[in-house]
Amino acid sequence: MQYALLLYENEAVYAEEGAMSLEAIIAAHGALAAELAEQGVLRGGQGLKSSDTATTLRKSRGVDTLHDGPYAEAREQLGGFYVIEVPDLDAALAIAKRIPFAGDGAVEVRPIIDED
Amino acid sequence: MSLLEQSARRDGGRIVAALAAGFRDLDLAEEAYAEACARAAAVWPAAPPLDPAAWLYATARRCALDMIRRRNVRHRTVPERPEPQPSAEDVLTSDDRLIPDERLRLIFVCCHPAVAPESRAALTLRLVCGLSVAEIARAFLVAEPAMFQRLTRAKKKIAEAGVSFEVPGPEAWPERMAAVLSTLEVAYARAHEDAAGSGPHAGYAREMLDLTAVLADLLPGEPEALAFAALVRFAEARRPARLDADGAMIPLAEQDPRRWNRALISNGDMLLRRAARLNRPGPRQLRAALHGAWALRRSLAEPPPWETLLALYDLLLEAGDDPFVRLNRAVVQAEVAGPAAALAEVEALDADRLDGFQPYHAVKADLLARLGHVEEALEAYDRAVEMAPGDAERLWLIRRRADMLYTHKPPDLPGECRGPDGER
Repeated sequence: MQYALLLYENEAVYAEEGAMSLEAIIAAHGALAAELAEQGVLRGGQGLKSSDTATTLRKSRGVDTLHDGPYAEAREQLGGFYVIEVPDLDAALAIAKRIPFAGDGAVEVRPIIDED
Repeated sequence: MSLLEQSARRDGGRIVAALAAGFRDLDLAEEAYAEACARAAAVWPAAPPLDPAAWLYATARRCALDMIRRRNVRHRTVPERPEPQPSAEDVLTSDDRLIPDERLRLIFVCCHPAVAPESRAALTLRLVCGLSVAEIARAFLVAEPAMFQRLTRAKKKIAEAGVSFEVPGPEAWPERMAAVLSTLEVAYARAHEDAAGSGPHAGYAREMLDLTAVLADLLPGEPEALAFAALVRFAEARRPARLDADGAMIPLAEQDPRRWNRALISNGDMLLRRAARLNRPGPRQLRAALHGAWALRRSLAEPPPWETLLALYDLLLEAGDDPFVRLNRAVVQAEVAGPAAALAEVEALDADRLDGFQPYHAVKADLLARLGHVEEALEAYDRAVEMAPGDAERLWLIRRRADMLYTHKPPDLPGECRGPDGER
């Protein structure tokens, strides 16, 4: 089964003194992604630029409106995603547990609709 | 009871569990089993099978394969589902009995952390114990359509999210065992509340003896699982002594220990000792020890073990403060230090939080009555009676209420307050 692992974290953590730097986190993600690719589990994934670069288009009763900022104003924001292919949810959760975070964060594990 | 009813009650849970584990599809397992039962109802009266469980299993499996084939014809693009592993025959024919860990496996599926906690116990009772949605809805005080929806949602989540049907490895047990045990605890508490053993959730009290035995067998290194199995044994051992001739509940301290089931008690004792030898104390071991302390009483001539119980409650509170434990402790404290001290403890509890908890009102009523606060006691008795989980407890409370009025004979309260069980 394919799963999307959606990463949510508080971006402010990277501005904190003594916190793990963005470079260090990117390197940790790189290492995990390389290992998953090696195992043939990785199907895709990307990191996203910070949520203050987001623009949201909202469709409401046929009217499009644009606004500056992410879909939801929350403390933790979608910061990137992995797409993996594993036998079951437990295997997906085991990988989710290994995803590096500089501070607090959350991973939403969502099965991807099977196209066949 | 017909052969089909008998067999369904005894083996239904195992059969559904084995089908679900084999096909990895909970709905399919239930549908196929229901179909097999319908066929059995038509065929068995004329030709009863030698091995009803094997007949039901083999038939249900064929039904399931038919259903998959029909489904695949409907959605031609869907690839053929692989044959279930291991094959049905492997599961069945080893010793003509379904292997018990199929049920355990299904319990682990139902109690997966991905399943909403409020659905876990209900799903376990539905799939493992074979209770009807109506019965489960009644047991959890939820409307039937709401319970049906909750179960449907949980099954859908398991299917769509790809929840694994494997029993997790030991590394996942600390996390998963807690969910499994608390689910079974909720289920058993519902069953045990019904002192008469005749209510909608009486059937699975026996089932719980069986399930906890399976759990203890398969996880011999998990002291909390052993302790829970012990607790169920101690509590079930008292079942024959829990009701009087009128069908009213007999409180623990007044039950005749000679009517307790000694075989179950010694079985519980053995399990609790095994748990203790693993040297990893936990709250379930303390709770089982509380029941075990009572089980040591041999006759009504021996005093109840109040001091031991108080010490065990104190240990339980050390492990984690809990208003429900404090309430139970107050009942024991009333015997050791008197009702006034106990009432002070009960009144220090968070009344708002406990207001919906029936024993809170029953305990308060009893303590107030013993202290002669008749009017307040009446109020608490009325709340407790109104909320009583079954007839046996209601009857007992009504009698206590009447006894209090008889003892205190308040001049301003007329005789209409006597209970419906007559004047004594």
